[in-house]
Amino acid sequence: MIPVRCFSCGGVIANKWEEFKRRVYEGESSDTILDDLRVTRYCCRRMMLSHVELVDTIAPYY
Amino acid sequence: MGYKCTRCKRAVEIDYEYTGIRCPYCGHRILVKDRPTSIKRIKAE
Amino acid sequence: MKIEVLEMSDRFAKFVLSDASIAFANGLRRAMLAEVPTLAITEVNLYNNTSVLYDEQLGLRLSLIPIKANTDELVPKEECMCDDNCPACEVSMTLSAEGPKMVYSGDFVSSDPEIFPSDENIPIVELKDGQQLFLEALAHVGHGKNHSRWQAGIACGYKTYPVVTFHNCDKCRSCIEACPKDIIQMGPSGAEIQDNDMLECTLCRSCADVCGINAITVDQDERAFIFNVESDGSYSAEELIQQASKALKKKSDGMLEVLEHF
Repeated sequence: MIPVRCFSCGGVIANKWEEFKRRVYEGESSDTILDDLRVTRYCCRRMMLSHVELVDTIAPYY
Repeated sequence: MGYKCTRCKRAVEIDYEYTGIRCPYCGHRILVKDRPTSIKRIKAE
Repeated sequence: MKIEVLEMSDRFAKFVLSDASIAFANGLRRAMLAEVPTLAITEVNLYNNTSVLYDEQLGLRLSLIPIKANTDELVPKEECMCDDNCPACEVSMTLSAEGPKMVYSGDFVSSDPEIFPSDENIPIVELKDGQQLFLEALAHVGHGKNHSRWQAGIACGYKTYPVVTFHNCDKCRSCIEACPKDIIQMGPSGAEIQDNDMLECTLCRSCADVCGINAITVDQDERAFIFNVESDGSYSAEELIQQASKALKKKSDGMLEVLEHF
């Protein structure tokens, strides 16, 4: 699950995650999406860019 | 306190005397404790 | 003291504060980050959780969700007159969900219709088939200095107003190429920077370094500040600045009271 807030600055990022994910899936380049969502600082940008969703990986073992 | 077998997902009782920690239905040796039904209060941080 | 607002939207604000001291500007900045009273979840009563996240992980995620509330009507738990909990210091919100479903912050049912998460689309946990989540979250008022869940102002900062002057420019254009922000233009009497573009200047002095005839001086106005404010959503940017000023005022009033009884 995407962290709710950025580790460094405390900005809320989780509210932008699903739109980011959808638009990346549709083939848009991630830097234009992040600029569009006003995720301007590089601390918040790395939160989105480097996130890996693990729920589906763990779920079978529950 | 009940246990659950992770392979066949059935509720099992542990027989310490005879079989040890082993599922009586499928023989699997990994059992997990069930979540207690009491309300758990935690600090959110 | 003068304020010129450059941008004021729901979550973002940019303004120029002039005729103020550095100490005051820094006080305001720190108040926005650490002194604004905010509501956030501090304790969770779990009735059932069979999701992939364990209870404490879930608690952390819940605590970081920004909540919109009128904090003037609420008091921090330490300052409340009650013994344990009362409606003045504690707000209860319940969440119940069963999979398959993505649980969002908007699924919270609050005991007070005026109090709700400011974003409805924060994913909390994804429930698979048959997984259950049933909990009651208790929110309290606190300040950003104690925990990041109460931090309403995000990355609030300021810089001093840049003052770049050109005199006896020989129009060699080298400063125009050197400027990383591309704000220097060639005017009729040599290189110049438009007033709006001046805000973009980072005081890097690349232009002054590259100038062969030392025609450029880069300086700063230490009585004027360009503020950048961002809110987490529990307040609008405007309310955040007001609340920060109130917090500052409250502190100085307290100081005054101490001095009067000295």
